[in-house]
Amino acid sequence: MSKLSAEPRELVGGAARRERLRRSRLYLVTDDTTPSEDLPGLLAAALRGGVDLVQLRRKGVPPDQLMALAATCREVCHAAGALFLVDDHVELAAAAGADGVHLGQEDTSVAEARSRLGPDFLIGLSTHDAAQVKSATSLDLDYIAAGPVHRTPTKMGTPAVGFEHVEAAARAAAVPVVAIGGLSLADAGTAIAAGADIVAVVRAICASSDPEEAARALRGQVDTAPAWSWIELNGEARKCPPQATVQGLLAGLHLDPTGLVVERNGVIVDRQLWAEVAVGAGDTLELVHFVGGG
Amino acid sequence: MPDQDGLHLGAVKLTSRLIHGTGKFPSSEVLAGSITASGAQMITLAVRRLHLDGDHHSELEGIDLGGYILLPNTAGATSADEAVRLARLARAAGLSDFIKVEIVGDSESLLPDPIATVEATARLVAEGFTVLPYASDDVVLALRLAEAGATAVMPGAAPIGSTLGVLNPHNLRLIIAKCPVPVIVDAGLGCPSDAARVMEWGAAGVLVNTGIAKAREPAAMARAFAAAVQAGRSAHLAGLAGRPEGFGASSPQAGTPAPLAPN
Repeated sequence: MSKLSAEPRELVGGAARRERLRRSRLYLVTDDTTPSEDLPGLLAAALRGGVDLVQLRRKGVPPDQLMALAATCREVCHAAGALFLVDDHVELAAAAGADGVHLGQEDTSVAEARSRLGPDFLIGLSTHDAAQVKSATSLDLDYIAAGPVHRTPTKMGTPAVGFEHVEAAARAAAVPVVAIGGLSLADAGTAIAAGADIVAVVRAICASSDPEEAARALRGQVDTAPAWSWIELNGEARKCPPQATVQGLLAGLHLDPTGLVVERNGVIVDRQLWAEVAVGAGDTLELVHFVGGG
Repeated sequence: MPDQDGLHLGAVKLTSRLIHGTGKFPSSEVLAGSITASGAQMITLAVRRLHLDGDHHSELEGIDLGGYILLPNTAGATSADEAVRLARLARAAGLSDFIKVEIVGDSESLLPDPIATVEATARLVAEGFTVLPYASDDVVLALRLAEAGATAVMPGAAPIGSTLGVLNPHNLRLIIAKCPVPVIVDAGLGCPSDAARVMEWGAAGVLVNTGIAKAREPAAMARAFAAAVQAGRSAHLAGLAGRPEGFGASSPQAGTPAPLAPN
Protein backbone atom coordinates (compact mmCIF):
# COMPACT_ATOMS: atom_id res chain seq x y z
CA MET A 1 0.00 0.00 0.00
CA SER A 2 1.26 3.47 -0.76
CA LYS A 3 3.04 5.36 1.94
CA LEU A 4 0.91 8.32 0.93
CA SER A 5 -1.97 6.79 2.87
CA ALA A 6 -0.48 8.23 6.06
CA GLU A 7 -0.56 11.74 4.61
CA PRO A 8 -3.18 13.90 6.34
CA ARG A 9 -5.85 14.89 3.82
CA GLU A 10 -5.78 18.50 4.99
CA LEU A 11 -2.26 18.84 3.60
CA VAL A 12 -3.22 17.61 0.15
CA GLY A 13 -3.25 20.78 -1.92
CA GLY A 14 -3.63 21.12 -5.65
CA ALA A 15 0.06 20.51 -6.30
CA ALA A 16 0.08 17.27 -4.31
CA ARG A 17 -3.06 16.08 -6.08
CA ARG A 18 -1.57 16.86 -9.48
CA GLU A 19 1.62 15.04 -8.59
CA ARG A 20 -0.41 11.99 -7.63
CA LEU A 21 -2.41 12.27 -10.83
CA ARG A 22 0.86 12.28 -12.78
CA ARG A 23 1.73 8.96 -11.19
CA SER A 24 -1.71 7.40 -11.57
CA ARG A 25 -2.12 4.57 -14.08
CA LEU A 26 -5.40 2.73 -13.47
CA TYR A 27 -8.69 4.54 -13.11
CA LEU A 28 -11.87 2.87 -11.90
CA VAL A 29 -15.17 4.48 -12.84
CA THR A 30 -18.05 2.99 -10.87
CA ASP A 31 -20.94 1.33 -12.66
CA ASP A 32 -24.66 1.87 -12.14
CA THR A 33 -25.49 -1.70 -11.23
CA THR A 34 -23.36 -2.42 -8.17
CA PRO A 35 -25.60 -1.73 -5.13
CA SER A 36 -24.46 1.28 -3.11
CA GLU A 37 -23.81 -0.82 -0.04
CA ASP A 38 -21.44 -3.06 -2.02
CA LEU A 39 -19.48 -0.21 -3.54
CA PRO A 40 -17.01 0.50 -0.69
CA GLY A 41 -16.00 -3.15 -0.63
CA LEU A 42 -15.61 -3.24 -4.39
CA LEU A 43 -13.46 -0.13 -4.29
CA ALA A 44 -11.28 -1.47 -1.49
CA ALA A 45 -10.63 -4.64 -3.49
CA ALA A 46 -9.88 -2.71 -6.67
CA LEU A 47 -7.53 -0.38 -4.79
CA ARG A 48 -5.66 -3.35 -3.36
CA GLY A 49 -5.29 -4.64 -6.89
CA GLY A 50 -3.65 -1.43 -8.12
CA VAL A 51 -6.35 1.12 -8.94
CA ASP A 52 -5.06 4.56 -7.97
CA LEU A 53 -7.84 6.81 -9.20
CA VAL A 54 -11.57 6.39 -8.64
CA GLN A 55 -14.57 8.20 -10.03
CA LEU A 56 -17.97 7.88 -8.44
CA ARG A 57 -20.52 7.88 -11.24
CA ARG A 58 -24.18 7.18 -10.58
CA LYS A 59 -26.13 8.39 -13.57
CA GLY A 60 -29.60 9.59 -12.72
CA VAL A 61 -29.09 9.76 -8.96
CA PRO A 62 -29.52 13.30 -7.57
CA PRO A 63 -26.36 14.57 -5.89
CA ASP A 64 -28.01 15.07 -2.48
CA GLN A 65 -28.71 11.34 -2.37
CA LEU A 66 -25.07 10.57 -3.17
CA MET A 67 -23.51 12.55 -0.34
CA ALA A 68 -23.16 9.71 2.17
CA LEU A 69 -21.93 7.26 -0.47
CA ALA A 70 -19.43 9.79 -1.80
CA ALA A 71 -18.04 10.46 1.66
CA THR A 72 -17.59 6.74 2.29
CA CYS A 73 -15.93 6.17 -1.08
CA ARG A 74 -13.64 9.12 -0.45
CA GLU A 75 -12.56 7.59 2.87
CA VAL A 76 -11.84 4.24 1.25
CA CYS A 77 -9.82 5.86 -1.55
CA HIS A 78 -7.83 8.16 0.66
CA ALA A 79 -7.06 5.35 3.08
CA ALA A 80 -5.47 3.57 0.11
CA GLY A 81 -3.61 6.68 -1.07
CA ALA A 82 -5.78 6.93 -4.18
CA LEU A 83 -7.44 9.98 -5.67
CA PHE A 84 -11.22 10.22 -5.54
CA LEU A 85 -13.29 12.14 -8.07
CA VAL A 86 -16.99 12.65 -8.55
CA ASP A 87 -18.73 12.58 -11.91
CA ASP A 88 -20.43 15.76 -13.00
CA HIS A 89 -21.56 17.19 -9.60
CA VAL A 90 -19.29 20.07 -8.69
CA GLU A 91 -20.94 20.85 -5.36
CA LEU A 92 -20.96 17.20 -4.34
CA ALA A 93 -17.24 16.97 -5.10
CA ALA A 94 -16.51 19.89 -2.79
CA ALA A 95 -18.93 18.80 -0.06
CA ALA A 96 -17.75 15.19 -0.02
CA GLY A 97 -14.09 16.17 0.20
CA ALA A 98 -13.33 14.64 -3.18
CA ASP A 99 -10.10 15.47 -4.99
CA GLY A 100 -11.94 16.71 -8.00
CA VAL A 101 -14.67 16.32 -10.56
CA HIS A 102 -15.01 14.70 -13.94
CA LEU A 103 -17.02 16.63 -16.51
CA GLY A 104 -18.62 15.55 -19.75
CA GLN A 105 -19.03 17.78 -22.76
CA GLU A 106 -22.65 18.43 -21.75
CA ASP A 107 -21.97 18.99 -18.03
CA THR A 108 -20.98 22.12 -16.18
CA SER A 109 -18.26 23.98 -18.10
CA VAL A 110 -14.65 23.61 -17.00
CA ALA A 111 -14.39 27.35 -16.38
CA GLU A 112 -17.46 27.36 -14.17
CA ALA A 113 -16.35 24.27 -12.26
CA ARG A 114 -12.94 25.84 -11.75
CA SER A 115 -14.40 29.08 -10.45
CA ARG A 116 -16.65 27.19 -8.05
CA LEU A 117 -13.99 24.73 -6.85
CA GLY A 118 -10.88 26.90 -6.86
CA PRO A 119 -7.38 25.93 -7.94
CA ASP A 120 -6.82 22.96 -5.61
CA PHE A 121 -9.35 20.55 -7.15
CA LEU A 122 -8.68 18.28 -10.10
CA ILE A 123 -10.89 18.70 -13.12
CA GLY A 124 -11.10 16.13 -15.90
CA LEU A 125 -12.99 16.44 -19.16
CA SER A 126 -14.35 13.86 -21.59
CA THR A 127 -13.45 14.38 -25.24
CA HIS A 128 -14.71 12.48 -28.23
CA ASP A 129 -12.92 14.13 -31.14
CA ALA A 130 -9.90 16.21 -32.09
CA ALA A 131 -11.81 19.49 -31.96
CA GLN A 132 -12.83 18.86 -28.36
CA VAL A 133 -9.24 18.05 -27.44
CA LYS A 134 -8.13 21.23 -29.12
CA SER A 135 -10.55 23.42 -27.21
CA ALA A 136 -9.63 21.54 -24.03
CA THR A 137 -5.98 22.52 -24.38
CA SER A 138 -6.83 26.13 -23.58
CA LEU A 139 -8.84 25.22 -20.46
CA ASP A 140 -7.68 25.11 -16.87
CA LEU A 141 -8.09 21.36 -16.40
CA ASP A 142 -5.99 18.48 -15.10
CA TYR A 143 -6.63 15.60 -17.42
CA ILE A 144 -8.37 14.80 -20.65
CA ALA A 145 -10.34 11.63 -21.11
CA ALA A 146 -10.32 10.27 -24.67
CA GLY A 147 -13.05 7.90 -25.69
CA PRO A 148 -15.10 5.86 -25.95
CA VAL A 149 -12.40 3.71 -27.48
CA HIS A 150 -14.99 0.96 -28.04
CA ARG A 151 -18.77 1.02 -28.06
CA THR A 152 -19.95 0.59 -24.48
CA PRO A 153 -23.24 0.20 -22.65
CA THR A 154 -22.25 3.19 -20.48
CA LYS A 155 -22.16 5.53 -23.48
CA MET A 156 -24.76 4.03 -25.77
CA GLY A 157 -25.28 7.06 -27.96
CA THR A 158 -21.62 7.82 -28.56
CA PRO A 159 -19.81 6.20 -31.48
CA ALA A 160 -16.53 4.46 -30.73
CA VAL A 161 -13.52 6.63 -31.52
CA GLY A 162 -10.80 3.99 -31.35
CA PHE A 163 -7.20 4.33 -30.27
CA GLU A 164 -6.65 6.98 -32.96
CA HIS A 165 -8.40 9.50 -30.77
CA VAL A 166 -6.31 8.46 -27.77
CA GLU A 167 -3.17 9.06 -29.80
CA ALA A 168 -4.36 12.41 -31.11
CA ALA A 169 -5.18 13.52 -27.58
CA ALA A 170 -1.80 12.31 -26.33
CA ARG A 171 -0.01 14.39 -28.93
CA ALA A 172 -1.99 17.54 -28.31
CA ALA A 173 -2.49 17.60 -24.56
CA ALA A 174 -0.22 19.15 -21.96
CA VAL A 175 -2.05 17.19 -19.25
CA PRO A 176 -2.42 13.44 -18.67
CA VAL A 177 -4.67 11.57 -21.07
CA VAL A 178 -7.10 8.94 -19.81
CA ALA A 179 -8.19 6.27 -22.29
CA ILE A 180 -11.73 5.07 -21.60
CA GLY A 181 -14.51 3.09 -23.20
CA GLY A 182 -14.83 -0.67 -23.14
CA LEU A 183 -11.17 -1.28 -22.33
CA SER A 184 -10.32 -4.70 -21.01
CA LEU A 185 -7.33 -6.75 -19.99
CA ALA A 186 -6.82 -7.54 -23.67
CA ASP A 187 -6.22 -3.97 -24.77
CA ALA A 188 -5.27 -1.93 -21.68
CA GLY A 189 -1.65 -2.13 -22.83
CA THR A 190 -2.66 -0.99 -26.31
CA ALA A 191 -4.17 2.14 -24.79
CA ILE A 192 -0.89 2.93 -23.04
CA ALA A 193 1.06 2.27 -26.24
CA ALA A 194 -1.30 4.66 -28.04
CA GLY A 195 -0.26 7.42 -25.66
CA ALA A 196 -2.63 7.19 -22.71
CA ASP A 197 -1.15 7.91 -19.30
CA ILE A 198 -4.04 6.31 -17.49
CA VAL A 199 -6.41 3.51 -18.42
CA ALA A 200 -9.96 3.85 -17.15
CA VAL A 201 -12.30 0.89 -16.85
CA VAL A 202 -15.82 0.23 -15.63
CA ARG A 203 -16.94 -3.31 -16.37
CA ALA A 204 -13.45 -4.81 -16.52
CA ILE A 205 -13.35 -4.46 -12.74
CA CYS A 206 -16.95 -3.88 -11.62
CA ALA A 207 -18.33 -6.86 -13.52
CA SER A 208 -15.52 -9.16 -12.44
CA SER A 209 -16.09 -11.89 -9.89
CA ASP A 210 -12.70 -10.99 -8.43
CA PRO A 211 -12.25 -7.20 -8.70
CA GLU A 212 -8.92 -7.23 -6.90
CA GLU A 213 -7.41 -9.78 -9.25
CA ALA A 214 -8.97 -8.02 -12.25
CA ALA A 215 -7.39 -4.76 -11.15
CA ARG A 216 -4.04 -6.43 -10.53
CA ALA A 217 -4.01 -8.02 -13.96
CA LEU A 218 -4.97 -4.72 -15.61
CA ARG A 219 -2.31 -2.90 -13.66
CA GLY A 220 0.25 -5.41 -14.82
CA GLN A 221 -0.67 -4.76 -18.45
CA VAL A 222 -0.62 -0.99 -17.93
CA ASP A 223 2.72 -0.97 -16.14
CA THR A 224 4.51 -3.13 -18.68
CA ALA A 225 3.18 -1.52 -21.88
CA PRO A 226 5.54 0.85 -23.73
CA ALA A 227 4.59 4.22 -22.27
CA TRP A 228 5.02 7.66 -23.83
CA SER A 229 7.41 10.10 -22.16
CA TRP A 230 6.90 13.61 -20.94
CA ILE A 231 9.06 16.21 -22.59
CA GLU A 232 9.06 19.99 -22.59
CA LEU A 233 8.23 21.44 -25.97
CA ASN A 234 8.42 25.21 -26.38
CA GLY A 235 7.83 25.58 -22.67
CA GLU A 236 4.79 23.29 -22.63
CA ALA A 237 4.50 19.79 -21.22
CA ARG A 238 4.01 17.35 -24.10
CA LYS A 239 4.44 13.66 -24.68
CA CYS A 240 6.33 11.71 -27.24
CA PRO A 241 6.03 8.04 -28.17
CA PRO A 242 8.70 5.48 -27.27
CA GLN A 243 11.76 5.55 -29.56
CA ALA A 244 10.75 8.92 -30.95
CA THR A 245 13.06 10.97 -33.13
CA VAL A 246 12.93 14.68 -33.82
CA GLN A 247 11.50 13.92 -37.25
CA GLY A 248 8.84 11.59 -35.89
CA LEU A 249 7.83 14.07 -33.23
CA LEU A 250 7.41 16.88 -35.77
CA ALA A 251 5.41 14.62 -38.06
CA GLY A 252 3.16 13.59 -35.19
CA LEU A 253 2.47 17.23 -34.41
CA HIS A 254 1.66 17.93 -38.07
CA LEU A 255 4.06 20.85 -38.00
CA ASP A 256 5.36 22.42 -41.19
CA PRO A 257 9.14 21.86 -41.05
CA THR A 258 9.89 24.67 -43.52
CA GLY A 259 12.24 27.16 -41.91
CA LEU A 260 12.05 25.35 -38.62
CA VAL A 261 15.04 25.19 -36.30
CA VAL A 262 15.15 22.58 -33.56
CA GLU A 263 17.14 22.91 -30.38
CA ARG A 264 17.32 19.89 -28.05
CA ASN A 265 18.59 20.42 -24.53
CA GLY A 266 20.31 23.64 -25.58
CA VAL A 267 22.01 22.22 -28.69
CA ILE A 268 20.79 22.87 -32.23
CA VAL A 269 19.91 19.68 -34.07
CA ASP A 270 21.10 19.80 -37.67
CA ARG A 271 18.18 19.22 -40.03
CA GLN A 272 20.16 16.36 -41.62
CA LEU A 273 20.05 14.54 -38.28
CA TRP A 274 16.37 14.96 -37.45
CA ALA A 275 15.60 11.37 -38.44
CA GLU A 276 18.34 10.02 -36.18
CA VAL A 277 18.32 12.17 -33.04
CA ALA A 278 16.21 10.56 -30.33
CA VAL A 279 13.72 12.43 -28.18
CA GLY A 280 12.78 11.00 -24.81
CA ALA A 281 11.85 11.51 -21.20
CA GLY A 282 12.88 14.84 -19.72
CA ASP A 283 14.16 16.36 -22.97
CA THR A 284 13.63 20.06 -23.52
CA LEU A 285 12.96 21.04 -27.10
CA GLU A 286 12.66 24.46 -28.64
CA LEU A 287 11.11 24.76 -32.08
CA VAL A 288 11.71 28.22 -33.50
CA HIS A 289 11.23 29.98 -36.79
CA PHE A 290 11.39 33.48 -38.22
CA VAL A 291 8.64 35.93 -37.42
CA GLY A 292 8.28 39.59 -38.22
CA GLY A 293 10.66 41.83 -36.30
CA GLY A 294 12.60 45.04 -36.51
CA MET B 1 17.44 56.95 -59.86
CA PRO B 2 19.06 53.84 -58.45
CA ASP B 3 21.97 54.34 -56.13
CA GLN B 4 25.19 53.71 -58.06
CA ASP B 5 27.43 53.51 -55.02
CA GLY B 6 26.13 50.38 -53.38
CA LEU B 7 26.60 49.57 -49.73
CA HIS B 8 28.93 46.64 -49.13
CA LEU B 9 28.09 44.61 -46.05
CA GLY B 10 30.12 41.45 -45.66
CA ALA B 11 29.70 39.44 -48.83
CA VAL B 12 26.75 41.40 -50.18
CA LYS B 13 26.21 44.71 -51.93
CA LEU B 14 23.00 46.59 -51.29
CA THR B 15 21.83 49.05 -53.89
CA SER B 16 18.99 50.14 -51.63
CA ARG B 17 20.17 51.71 -48.40
CA LEU B 18 16.78 51.31 -46.78
CA ILE B 19 16.52 48.20 -44.61
CA HIS B 20 12.91 47.20 -44.06
CA GLY B 21 11.67 45.88 -40.71
CA THR B 22 8.90 43.28 -40.71
CA GLY B 23 7.35 43.66 -37.26
CA LYS B 24 4.00 45.19 -36.28
CA PHE B 25 2.44 45.10 -39.74
CA PRO B 26 -1.34 44.62 -39.75
CA SER B 27 -1.19 41.69 -42.17
CA SER B 28 1.07 39.61 -44.31
CA GLU B 29 -0.37 41.29 -47.42
CA VAL B 30 0.34 44.80 -46.16
CA LEU B 31 3.86 43.77 -45.20
CA ALA B 32 4.53 42.25 -48.61
CA GLY B 33 3.19 45.36 -50.35
CA SER B 34 5.34 47.59 -48.21
CA ILE B 35 8.55 45.66 -48.79
CA THR B 36 7.93 45.71 -52.52
CA ALA B 37 7.15 49.43 -52.51
CA SER B 38 10.29 50.21 -50.50
CA GLY B 39 12.61 48.54 -52.99
CA ALA B 40 14.54 47.20 -49.98
CA GLN B 41 16.82 44.24 -50.53
CA MET B 42 17.47 43.59 -46.89
CA ILE B 43 14.74 42.85 -44.35
CA THR B 44 14.94 42.18 -40.64
CA LEU B 45 13.34 39.25 -38.84
CA ALA B 46 13.00 37.92 -35.32
CA VAL B 47 13.37 34.35 -34.04
CA ARG B 48 10.49 33.02 -32.01
CA ARG B 49 8.87 29.78 -30.88
CA LEU B 50 6.59 28.07 -33.33
CA HIS B 51 2.96 27.90 -32.18
CA LEU B 52 2.34 24.20 -31.65
CA ASP B 53 -1.36 24.23 -32.48
CA GLY B 54 -0.71 25.28 -36.07
CA ASP B 55 -3.42 27.96 -35.94
CA HIS B 56 -1.15 30.96 -35.87
CA HIS B 57 0.05 32.22 -39.19
CA SER B 58 3.29 34.12 -39.41
CA GLU B 59 3.19 37.58 -40.94
CA LEU B 60 6.07 36.31 -43.06
CA GLU B 61 3.82 33.84 -44.84
CA GLY B 62 3.54 34.81 -48.45
CA ILE B 63 6.91 36.54 -48.44
CA ASP B 64 9.63 34.80 -50.41
CA LEU B 65 12.43 35.00 -47.88
CA GLY B 66 14.83 33.66 -50.49
CA GLY B 67 14.28 36.84 -52.49
CA TYR B 68 15.85 39.06 -49.83
CA ILE B 69 19.01 39.38 -47.82
CA LEU B 70 17.90 38.52 -44.33
CA LEU B 71 19.03 40.34 -41.23
CA PRO B 72 17.67 38.33 -38.29
CA ASN B 73 17.83 40.05 -34.93
CA THR B 74 18.41 38.81 -31.41
CA ALA B 75 15.44 40.75 -30.02
CA GLY B 76 14.30 39.20 -26.79
CA ALA B 77 17.86 38.78 -25.52
CA THR B 78 18.87 40.55 -22.33
CA SER B 79 22.38 39.10 -22.12
CA ALA B 80 25.25 38.24 -24.44
CA ASP B 81 24.58 34.52 -23.88
CA GLU B 82 20.96 34.85 -24.95
CA ALA B 83 21.94 36.88 -27.99
CA VAL B 84 24.50 34.28 -29.04
CA ARG B 85 21.92 31.53 -28.66
CA LEU B 86 19.33 33.38 -30.74
CA ALA B 87 21.96 34.16 -33.37
CA ARG B 88 22.86 30.48 -33.66
CA LEU B 89 19.20 29.54 -33.97
CA ALA B 90 18.75 32.18 -36.67
CA ARG B 91 21.74 30.95 -38.64
CA ALA B 92 20.59 27.33 -38.33
CA ALA B 93 17.58 28.21 -40.50
CA GLY B 94 20.17 28.19 -43.27
CA LEU B 95 19.11 31.46 -44.87
CA SER B 96 21.61 34.02 -43.59
CA ASP B 97 24.87 34.54 -41.72
CA PHE B 98 23.88 38.11 -40.88
CA ILE B 99 22.84 38.95 -37.36
CA LYS B 100 21.61 42.16 -35.83
CA VAL B 101 22.71 41.99 -32.22
CA GLU B 102 19.98 43.50 -30.11
CA ILE B 103 20.31 43.16 -26.36
CA VAL B 104 17.88 45.09 -24.24
CA GLY B 105 19.43 46.58 -21.12
CA ASP B 106 16.36 48.39 -19.87
CA SER B 107 13.05 46.64 -20.29
CA GLU B 108 10.98 49.83 -20.28
CA SER B 109 12.83 52.02 -22.78
CA LEU B 110 14.24 48.97 -24.62
CA LEU B 111 17.56 50.81 -24.75
CA PRO B 112 20.43 48.46 -25.53
CA ASP B 113 22.99 47.14 -23.08
CA PRO B 114 26.27 48.47 -24.49
CA ILE B 115 28.58 46.17 -22.55
CA ALA B 116 26.72 42.99 -23.42
CA THR B 117 26.43 44.20 -27.03
CA VAL B 118 30.22 44.52 -27.36
CA GLU B 119 30.71 41.08 -25.83
CA ALA B 120 28.12 39.40 -28.05
CA THR B 121 29.49 41.14 -31.13
CA ALA B 122 33.00 39.82 -30.47
CA ARG B 123 31.77 36.31 -29.80
CA LEU B 124 29.58 36.18 -32.89
CA VAL B 125 32.30 37.60 -35.12
CA ALA B 126 34.54 34.80 -33.82
CA GLU B 127 31.82 32.31 -34.82
CA GLY B 128 31.80 33.64 -38.35
CA PHE B 129 28.65 35.74 -38.30
CA THR B 130 28.35 39.01 -40.17
CA VAL B 131 27.45 41.15 -37.19
CA LEU B 132 25.49 44.40 -37.20
CA PRO B 133 25.00 45.49 -33.59
CA TYR B 134 22.18 47.79 -32.59
CA ALA B 135 23.67 50.22 -30.09
CA SER B 136 23.03 53.41 -28.23
CA ASP B 137 24.24 56.58 -29.92
CA ASP B 138 27.59 56.67 -28.16
CA VAL B 139 30.64 57.54 -30.20
CA VAL B 140 33.20 55.49 -28.33
CA LEU B 141 30.85 52.52 -28.17
CA ALA B 142 30.61 52.62 -31.96
CA LEU B 143 34.41 52.54 -32.17
CA ARG B 144 34.60 49.62 -29.75
CA LEU B 145 32.00 47.69 -31.75
CA ALA B 146 34.00 48.28 -34.92
CA GLU B 147 37.12 47.03 -33.13
CA ALA B 148 35.16 43.95 -32.00
CA GLY B 149 34.63 43.16 -35.66
CA ALA B 150 31.19 44.57 -36.41
CA THR B 151 30.58 44.81 -40.15
CA ALA B 152 28.46 47.91 -39.56
CA VAL B 153 27.20 49.60 -36.41
CA MET B 154 23.59 50.53 -35.93
CA PRO B 155 23.17 53.39 -33.49
CA GLY B 156 19.62 54.24 -32.58
CA ALA B 157 18.19 57.63 -33.44
CA ALA B 158 15.67 57.26 -30.60
CA PRO B 159 14.26 54.36 -28.55
CA ILE B 160 12.80 51.44 -30.51
CA GLY B 161 9.29 52.07 -31.72
CA SER B 162 9.25 55.65 -30.44
CA THR B 163 9.30 57.36 -33.87
CA LEU B 164 10.83 60.34 -32.07
CA GLY B 165 13.37 60.97 -34.80
CA VAL B 166 16.98 61.94 -34.17
CA LEU B 167 17.31 62.82 -30.49
CA ASN B 168 21.03 63.48 -30.46
CA PRO B 169 22.12 64.74 -33.88
CA HIS B 170 25.53 65.77 -32.66
CA ASN B 171 26.38 62.26 -31.47
CA LEU B 172 25.09 60.60 -34.60
CA ARG B 173 27.14 62.93 -36.80
CA LEU B 174 30.23 62.19 -34.73
CA ILE B 175 29.64 58.47 -34.98
CA ILE B 176 29.25 58.76 -38.74
CA ALA B 177 32.41 60.86 -38.97
CA LYS B 178 34.61 58.67 -36.80
CA CYS B 179 33.39 55.12 -37.20
CA PRO B 180 35.61 53.10 -39.56
CA VAL B 181 32.73 50.82 -40.60
CA PRO B 182 29.38 51.75 -42.16
CA VAL B 183 26.88 53.39 -39.83
CA ILE B 184 23.27 52.33 -40.31
CA VAL B 185 20.86 54.37 -38.25
CA ASP B 186 18.34 52.10 -36.58
CA ALA B 187 15.37 52.67 -34.33
CA GLY B 188 13.22 55.70 -33.75
CA LEU B 189 13.16 57.15 -37.27
CA GLY B 190 9.59 58.37 -37.45
CA CYS B 191 9.28 60.12 -40.79
CA PRO B 192 11.11 60.27 -44.12
CA SER B 193 12.79 63.58 -43.27
CA ASP B 194 14.48 61.87 -40.27
CA ALA B 195 15.92 59.33 -42.68
CA ALA B 196 16.93 61.98 -45.21
CA ARG B 197 18.68 63.94 -42.49
CA VAL B 198 20.94 61.12 -41.29
CA MET B 199 21.67 60.09 -44.87
CA GLU B 200 22.75 63.68 -45.64
CA TRP B 201 25.24 63.39 -42.79
CA GLY B 202 26.73 60.31 -44.38
CA ALA B 203 24.94 57.43 -42.73
CA ALA B 204 25.44 54.33 -44.84
CA GLY B 205 21.80 53.36 -44.51
CA VAL B 206 18.75 53.31 -42.28
CA LEU B 207 16.57 50.61 -40.80
CA VAL B 208 12.90 51.55 -40.53
CA ASN B 209 10.12 49.45 -39.06
CA THR B 210 7.53 51.25 -36.92
CA GLY B 211 7.66 54.41 -39.04
CA ILE B 212 6.39 52.35 -41.96
CA ALA B 213 4.36 49.63 -40.23
CA LYS B 214 2.26 52.07 -38.22
CA ALA B 215 1.69 54.57 -41.04
CA ARG B 216 -1.89 54.80 -42.29
CA GLU B 217 -0.70 53.46 -45.64
CA PRO B 218 2.47 51.46 -45.06
CA ALA B 219 3.30 50.84 -48.73
CA ALA B 220 3.03 54.54 -49.59
CA MET B 221 5.12 55.42 -46.55
CA ALA B 222 7.73 52.82 -47.54
CA ARG B 223 7.98 54.50 -50.91
CA ALA B 224 8.36 57.88 -49.23
CA PHE B 225 11.14 56.57 -46.97
CA ALA B 226 12.92 55.07 -49.97
CA ALA B 227 12.80 58.43 -51.78
CA ALA B 228 14.05 60.23 -48.66
CA VAL B 229 16.94 57.82 -48.27
CA GLN B 230 17.93 58.37 -51.89
CA ALA B 231 17.62 62.14 -51.59
CA GLY B 232 19.69 62.16 -48.43
CA ARG B 233 22.33 59.96 -50.00
CA SER B 234 22.51 62.14 -53.11
CA ALA B 235 22.82 65.25 -50.94
CA HIS B 236 25.63 63.65 -48.98
CA LEU B 237 27.49 62.75 -52.16
CA ALA B 238 26.94 66.26 -53.50
CA GLY B 239 28.62 67.71 -50.42
CA LEU B 240 26.54 69.80 -48.03
CA ALA B 241 27.37 73.49 -47.84
CA GLY B 242 28.29 72.51 -44.36
CA ARG B 243 27.80 73.50 -40.78
CA PRO B 244 31.17 73.18 -39.04
CA GLU B 245 31.09 71.42 -35.74
CA GLY B 246 33.37 72.60 -32.96
CA PHE B 247 34.39 70.94 -29.77
CA GLY B 248 37.29 71.22 -27.36
CA ALA B 249 38.37 69.96 -23.98
CA SER B 250 37.30 71.84 -20.89
CA SER B 251 40.23 70.50 -18.95
CA PRO B 252 43.81 71.22 -20.05
CA GLN B 253 45.23 68.69 -22.49
CA ALA B 254 48.78 69.13 -21.20
CA GLY B 255 50.02 68.01 -17.83
CA THR B 256 48.34 64.62 -17.52
CA PRO B 257 50.63 62.12 -15.76
CA ALA B 258 52.65 59.93 -18.08
CA PRO B 259 51.04 56.58 -18.85
CA LEU B 260 52.12 53.76 -16.58
CA ALA B 261 54.43 51.17 -18.05
CA PRO B 262 52.68 47.85 -18.43
CA ASN B 263 53.44 45.39 -15.64
